[in-house]
Amino acid sequence: MAFARAVKCYGEWAMGNSTKLAPDALGLGLRTPHYAHIFEYWPDLGYFEIISENFLGASPVPRQKLHRVRERYPVVLHGVGMNLLGHAPLDERYLDDLARLADEIDAPFVTDHLCWTGSHGTTHHDLLPTPYVPELVEFAAERAHGVQRRLGRPFGLENLSSYVQFQASTMTEWDFYSAVVRESGCWFMLDINNIYVSSENHDFNPEQYLKAIDFSRVLQVHLAGHTREPNGTIVDTHDQPVCEEVWRLYQSAWRMGGPFPTLLEWDDRIPPMPVALCELGEAIAARS
Amino acid sequence: MSAPLWLADFQAQFAAVLRTPLDRSTGTLRAATIGYPPALCDNARPRGALGGDACLAVYNRQYWFRMFGVMANAFPLSARLVGHWTFNAWTMQFLSENPPRGWDVDQVADGFEAWLGHAFSAPEIPLDKNGVTLERAALLQAARVDGAWRSVFLAPAEAPYRPSPVEANVLMTSRLQLSRGVELIAEDWPLLDLRHQLAEDTGETRIPLPPRLADPCFWAMVRGPSAIGRLALQPREAQLFALLREWPLPEALARLERACPESERDGLPANAHAWLMRSVALGFWSGIVPSNQ
Repeated sequence: MAFARAVKCYGEWAMGNSTKLAPDALGLGLRTPHYAHIFEYWPDLGYFEIISENFLGASPVPRQKLHRVRERYPVVLHGVGMNLLGHAPLDERYLDDLARLADEIDAPFVTDHLCWTGSHGTTHHDLLPTPYVPELVEFAAERAHGVQRRLGRPFGLENLSSYVQFQASTMTEWDFYSAVVRESGCWFMLDINNIYVSSENHDFNPEQYLKAIDFSRVLQVHLAGHTREPNGTIVDTHDQPVCEEVWRLYQSAWRMGGPFPTLLEWDDRIPPMPVALCELGEAIAARS
Repeated sequence: MSAPLWLADFQAQFAAVLRTPLDRSTGTLRAATIGYPPALCDNARPRGALGGDACLAVYNRQYWFRMFGVMANAFPLSARLVGHWTFNAWTMQFLSENPPRGWDVDQVADGFEAWLGHAFSAPEIPLDKNGVTLERAALLQAARVDGAWRSVFLAPAEAPYRPSPVEANVLMTSRLQLSRGVELIAEDWPLLDLRHQLAEDTGETRIPLPPRLADPCFWAMVRGPSAIGRLALQPREAQLFALLREWPLPEALARLERACPESERDGLPANAHAWLMRSVALGFWSGIVPSNQ
């Protein structure tokens, strides 16, 4: 019950606070090559998403640019370094810095990945999978709940794209993911491309994955491109346009549970801003 | 709540996979799955024609290619002077000895400049089997240029030091502290120019070291409001700034004067005054440190 109350409270906060992120908003990942275009043309866009860690360092330069962007757009935080499923305790200083940054830019919500990123004092700078088992649900949910409470705003968990599954798993990824979100009182940060990538790599039906999602608790949806390696593995590279299959999956998701804010990520071979905006505009067509 | 007991062991095995250096023996970078922990390989489900170890190899390659990118981005001049093939091998060696810690990817390259200095002691560094070499001094200067740029970019904001009249006495017994947003560079090759030229160049092949300069050049690398700039320093000016970081002002000036030939001494007071004024105006200094510290 306490979780349910928290969910309602955080949900209202996310969609109704001063930043006014529309339920069907379209957003783009804020990347350095686009700054010049943004500051000259201020494109019509619902919001930007930043990689949290890029703005947590001591250098004031990224922060200054972020504040210029924030003057015109809502900005949400997306992390890659929380290490939620790491065996070691969460980094308290990191969480403090993250909370401060979220407050500083009045972020409607914060997201990170349902994965681990480091172990035994070292960091791997990658989003790594684990076996999916019930005892890990409890562990992850308790941590995620604590993070959301500490941040004082909705905290969304993103599903991974993965290239390996483990014999030790006793749950499907979507059951694991849904259970962690449900038990924690947190939210889905649903990456449609990741569902597609994993479905191709592990031979499951991506529609089945979508059916397991409670769309009333989807904070945001991510779209991105990927690359197929010579051995057939699809890798989540974020260096291509969104492929047809992912657009179709997005369309299914929209029919099942839209509206939801939708964000395009492009992290490598980043095209000029107008090209990225054009690609994002495809989402409108896919919704109809 | 504590993590399940098996999790730490699982993650230690996975980390061992990630850090397994890629095999370079065939002229391409390949995952060497033979060294992966057998228990984790058994746990990884085969997928189609791929065994569990081949599935894990995706992460192994991904880890190293991400690190290659991070390191080449942090040390772009050094990487191009030796070529990415060689630089990536050094990256594997450096990060195997100094694995990344903390969430900040910008810290991955910390310590690389010093590592290079220790890793190569001969005056010429062999770069390939055909006898191509690079002068160690040139590589270390290139790494210093790259390291300085990183350091200036990543430095926290600091208020510039503006000495007040009441501090006059303290200033006479204190050293000046260089702002973290400023680095002083000396170069015997035109390396800053070369680094600037490489800014838009995404190539990975080795580039030739330009001819040695007739005389060394001195620069201050300074973080401005929108970009990192560089300011040419006169040799004596650079010497003064170096002395000011070591000694209180009177001692630094005395040492500078002693180092000057007779022909420069007449103009030295006026020059030193102008250099100091400019350095203060441009925010070179962030404070003072008592000389006994």
